[in-house]
Amino acid sequence: MSKPPDFHFFRLVARNLGNRPYRNIATIFAFAIIAATFFSSQYLMSGAQQSLDAGISRMGADILVVPEDYAGAGQTVILAGTPTSFFFEDSGFEKISRIPGVAKASPQIYIATLFASCCAAPVQMIAIDPKRDFTIAAWLKENPGLRLGKDDIIIGSAIIQNVGNDLLFYGHTFHVVGVLKQTGMGVDNAVFTRFEDAYVMAEESGQKAVKKLIIPEEKVSAVLVKVNPGTSPAVVASEIMAQVPGTKTILPNGLLNAVSGQLSAITRILYGASLAVTIVSVPLLGVISAMVAHERRKEVSILRALGATKAFVVRLLLVESFSLAIMGGCIGIGVSATILVLYQDFIMHLLKIPFIIPSLTTILVQGGSALLLSIVVGGVSALYPVIIFIRSEPYESIRGGES
Amino acid sequence: MINVDGLTKTFRMDNYEISAVDDVQLNVQPGEFILIFGRSGCGKSTLLGMLAGLIRPTKGVVRVHGVDIAHLSDDDVSGLRAKEIGFVFQFSGLLSTLTVLENVLLPTLFCTYSPSSGLRALELLEKVGVLDRADAYPHTLSSGEMKRVAIARALINGPALLIADEPTGDLDVDTEFEIMELFRQLNHEGTTIVMVTHNPDLVPYGTQSYYMERGKIVGKPKTSSCENLDLKSVSHLTTRDLT
Repeated sequence: MSKPPDFHFFRLVARNLGNRPYRNIATIFAFAIIAATFFSSQYLMSGAQQSLDAGISRMGADILVVPEDYAGAGQTVILAGTPTSFFFEDSGFEKISRIPGVAKASPQIYIATLFASCCAAPVQMIAIDPKRDFTIAAWLKENPGLRLGKDDIIIGSAIIQNVGNDLLFYGHTFHVVGVLKQTGMGVDNAVFTRFEDAYVMAEESGQKAVKKLIIPEEKVSAVLVKVNPGTSPAVVASEIMAQVPGTKTILPNGLLNAVSGQLSAITRILYGASLAVTIVSVPLLGVISAMVAHERRKEVSILRALGATKAFVVRLLLVESFSLAIMGGCIGIGVSATILVLYQDFIMHLLKIPFIIPSLTTILVQGGSALLLSIVVGGVSALYPVIIFIRSEPYESIRGGES
Repeated sequence: MINVDGLTKTFRMDNYEISAVDDVQLNVQPGEFILIFGRSGCGKSTLLGMLAGLIRPTKGVVRVHGVDIAHLSDDDVSGLRAKEIGFVFQFSGLLSTLTVLENVLLPTLFCTYSPSSGLRALELLEKVGVLDRADAYPHTLSSGEMKRVAIARALINGPALLIADEPTGDLDVDTEFEIMELFRQLNHEGTTIVMVTHNPDLVPYGTQSYYMERGKIVGKPKTSSCENLDLKSVSHLTTRDLT
């Protein structure tokens, strides 16, 4: 005699699912697509938003003043960290400092480095005046005892080096004293040093580097401005452009808008994709549900004739549907998360948005909500067969199938 | 055991009504083997559906152990079917996704499953002669084997009543004989059976036989084949004209 099986409700569910592979694979695929699209949208948008918040907060300024012809380059430095060098025609720094409403002004020099030992590509060096700087001041405050001394550099998180390492730029040796937190924006690819060291590096580059670096005397690339409390940055920005000819001002809101514009375009694409997927998947699930209702009418009637209550049938159909939804949801979330993490750099490059991988908690919440969406859709798609079965007289269905 | 009084079922078709079952009276006593004959469409299966609480009557009463099942909730009627009534359909009614043994165990999900249910299922499969097919799937079975499995499934919860809806309709003569012998054996062991069929040759198996025509029980079987029956072998046939 065969060993008696342990037959229970979940074995029936497993048998029903396992022995209808084609239909169930199609259903799982539909749920996977829904969950993957929803999860990817949430993941990309939250990562970009988080990056934007961190980048703006790192900038710490109300206004960025750059030469008129380099407004785009200035944005690129902040958003993408693309190495670039530019300078004001005339030093407008002193004039900017004196404009009413300006509380603090901090000059910066942008230097595109040559290929360096640290990195696969040139990086953006940003020379600052530590006494007047407030862009990395907040970070320095969080690390008491740390200061930017002679030949010291603080590097962005994307530069793979450790504190204590020495790096060579234009033949000049710098010492890494700190690594900034990831922002997903340009500063992740930047190296911060002092004005004095940048000038020394430029002076030595003639002998030590393959290409001489020229930093014009008394000229800066950009001025970061903090306005007095209660003063409108937009008003001060207009005043700067009026009083210092040849300048262009960039407000964080402008940056935000630039990125948000990019982000909202992507958001529209992602939502559009989600909508398209839903439009395709829901009818697909509807067709599958109708097939289920037709195909299983007799089966359900037999169950009823054998003593199954309506509640048992409803439970069976819902558990089967939820099981498929959970399987599809998990597969969709798992596959999309793997692709998003493995090909993050490529995707960000393609979408041209700053990005930080969201925290594990955020990912779990997003995964959970995508799974919940799958389950809800699963429940809704099971409603049609459930209603059909509850309304029909079982014996008519049994007899209806007879030859 | 079962008392049927004035049972009527009408179906509405466009602008007119069709009486599938019309004012039927029937009493089923414990240990009986009741055969209901009639042509296709005369209302036999609809009557069985109402006996089992699967079809709601338009009029009339079905009492099981003295209780009008119309007054029971769906859960209670389902419970009654699970515990008291075993069903054998004309087609096998086996679920294709389950093995033979699992099909037999299926009704235990609606009753109380116990570890002994597995052993009982194996015993029943042995009794109906298909134990060696316990792990097979229904599509690999012959029609006769499927019917035997369906009978084992109907008996798994130890029902007092077995309802069979043309169980031999799609079988060859030899297999039909084997299945009817099995029913006879079950009846001798104490199972009450109500069976509908259109084959009057089966009259000898019943302790009571009725003939249905146009929804009514009109008396004993009266077909051409019936005239050829050896009446000695059907001496227990009871003729009841209830119209």
